[in-house]
Amino acid sequence: MIEINNLSFSFAETEIFSHLNFNVNQGEILSIIGPNGCGKSTLLRLLRGSLKAQKGEVLWEKTPVEQISARIMAQKVAVVPQSTTIHFPYKVQDLVAMGRYPHRKNLLSFQNKSDQHAIEQALVMADILPLAERPVTQLSGGELQRVLLARALAQNSSVLFLDEATSHLDIDHRLELTELLVRLNRDQHTTIVQISHDLDLAAAISDRILLLTEHGNIAQIGTPSTVMTAANLQRVFRVDVKVTNNPFTGNPQIVPLINTAAFKLNDLKVHLICGGGSGKTLLRRLHPTQAQITAGPLNQGDSDESVASILNITVAQEVPFSPFSKQTLAATEKLIEQTEILVITTQWWGIGNLPCLDLAEKAIKQGTPIFLLSQQQEQDYTGGKAWAKIQNLQQQGAISIRNEEHLLEELSRQVNPSSIIGPG
Amino acid sequence: MNKATQTHKRWLWKLLLLLSPPLAIAISLSAGSLDLSWSQLFALLFQRSGTEVERVIIWQVRFPRALLAGLVGAALSISGVTFQAVLRNPLADPYLLGVSGGAALGAVTAITYGLQSPIIIPLAAFIGALTALLLVYLVAQAHTCSSHTLILSGVMVGSLAAALLLFLLWRSPADATRQAIFWLAGNLSLADPDWLSWGWLWVGIGFLLLWSQSLNLDLLTQGEETAADLGLHVGKTRLILFALAGALTACAVALAGLVGFVGLVIPHICRLLWGPGHRLLLPFSALLGSSFLIIADAIARSLYAPAEIPVGVVTATLGAPFFLYLLRRKGGNL
Repeated sequence: MIEINNLSFSFAETEIFSHLNFNVNQGEILSIIGPNGCGKSTLLRLLRGSLKAQKGEVLWEKTPVEQISARIMAQKVAVVPQSTTIHFPYKVQDLVAMGRYPHRKNLLSFQNKSDQHAIEQALVMADILPLAERPVTQLSGGELQRVLLARALAQNSSVLFLDEATSHLDIDHRLELTELLVRLNRDQHTTIVQISHDLDLAAAISDRILLLTEHGNIAQIGTPSTVMTAANLQRVFRVDVKVTNNPFTGNPQIVPLINTAAFKLNDLKVHLICGGGSGKTLLRRLHPTQAQITAGPLNQGDSDESVASILNITVAQEVPFSPFSKQTLAATEKLIEQTEILVITTQWWGIGNLPCLDLAEKAIKQGTPIFLLSQQQEQDYTGGKAWAKIQNLQQQGAISIRNEEHLLEELSRQVNPSSIIGPG
Repeated sequence: MNKATQTHKRWLWKLLLLLSPPLAIAISLSAGSLDLSWSQLFALLFQRSGTEVERVIIWQVRFPRALLAGLVGAALSISGVTFQAVLRNPLADPYLLGVSGGAALGAVTAITYGLQSPIIIPLAAFIGALTALLLVYLVAQAHTCSSHTLILSGVMVGSLAAALLLFLLWRSPADATRQAIFWLAGNLSLADPDWLSWGWLWVGIGFLLLWSQSLNLDLLTQGEETAADLGLHVGKTRLILFALAGALTACAVALAGLVGFVGLVIPHICRLLWGPGHRLLLPFSALLGSSFLIIADAIARSLYAPAEIPVGVVTATLGAPFFLYLLRRKGGNL
């Protein structure tokens, strides 16, 4: 529907796009994502013809964009801008009525019945009917954004451009707007091109995603699952992100890893014996401390294993629902031999994971310090064998810790003995 | 105050303002060095009584004068509305684009060179105003007439004209200077009554053209980009609007000198009463602007009768306190 051929654009001396090529297909939802300043808004303006490219062409159904008159263009595409301040106290319905401008037949007003119908419908769809008589200068940011949306809806165009239209909305209206977009797309086959900073929502509703790099090149264009990969996002946004699947919808979900670590364990090698979810908190907390973490043995599908694999942690893996094999235990032993610290977070002991304690006894004999997350005798299902081994470990100097915070404090004391780092 | 009484009160205001032009003309007819009571005026108008002198004063002096004041007030108000909308700036006034400076320079040149005829001065002022507009346009056109360039070049052309004006005044004899100051402060007595019908024609056409642009003005208040997104040809429209408003201002200045404040305050008051939609705002601003200036002129003529004080002095002393009152009540949301 819209073809972008070899488009180059510079602003003053700065080149923003060079040789851009892509299409917008009829009836699709295309989300443009990319870091601040990469030219997303500029790209929308170029597509609409508000800006003129120095080289290349933008074709709307084969017609060059600069040959389409302002009025025809406004009938084809409506723009929901980033929220702006409005100085003049127009009533909400009057502002929405401005969306009928490209369809007007009367010089002084929008008296037409179809105009009034469109305005009313837009007010209802954007959920601002109760605000119709209010002056726009008295609205909150989110309300104003919905008014701007309604104005665009009143245009009854077959294409909708949105420039961060959800940025001021609360979660309720953000979802509502998103649903509205999907509904417009499905029922009226409205083509939607949106700039979004909400990567998850973009991934959830888009047919395709256009990922722009900082320098305005196309990093990738395609379906959400092909574009929204951790590697792509890390390259473009230069942040540590993980991409998981939303447990409810299965859509790609982006998890930024915020470095809130008060502790720095520079390259300290730590091995975790965990399982059944006992280690995932510690894995998450250790990950940003820059410790070199290994874990195992763990069965595939164990929740600790899932967390470890998301965090790219080396794990001695066992196939699902199986006792640990000799090979797995050997692999674990190798990891433990290389580690500087061994941490045991496992809470429940049975025949299946009893060999882990044997590995621990071996390690403590070789002088590897062991930290034991507080253990309880009742959670020993081996008839006392595990409990005996635990007590043995403690006698040989294994240190009991209360919780993850306590462990991190102890570890950072080992790395930086002179200074006390961390809260408390 | 509850909403019902508030709406009620607003209705009363609106009605009063709608009836204001004839009321203002009546006040203006009765005011002046020859004091006429209302009953005398009524008798004169409807029963054709009164002396010959009185009739001449009413019909050949005061009535044209009131019409002139109304004309100037209307022209300044609607061009004020236009400038505020297009520049999206509540402080914009009709004199922003150097029109006043150019007109003043033209008029004062004529005055100091002894061409003091009531035919020549308005013509010189008009030519000066249009020259300034053209200059501003030529500078701003290089940047597709963006608001900022327009305002800045307008201010610059204005200061250039002001400097030349001061030079002229410094060189000219004292009585010419005095007359120039009288013109600069706004004065409705200098123009020849023959200009009146031309002025009405000019302002009438200007108003109709501007009124036909009401929706475009509404769109432009939303900013250039939004206006363009909604299908407005922004550059062309803005040029037309500036040319129209500029020409209206030039006409007003040529006939009455620099009458301040009308073009700034009247649009604000009308926006409070009728909202920002230009379909209503333009005609009501024209009405209110003309009544305001007619009354201001009546005051100017009668306060020190038979001497006249410059009408610009009256508009500012009435307008500024009222504006301050509004500002205090409404804050920035005028």
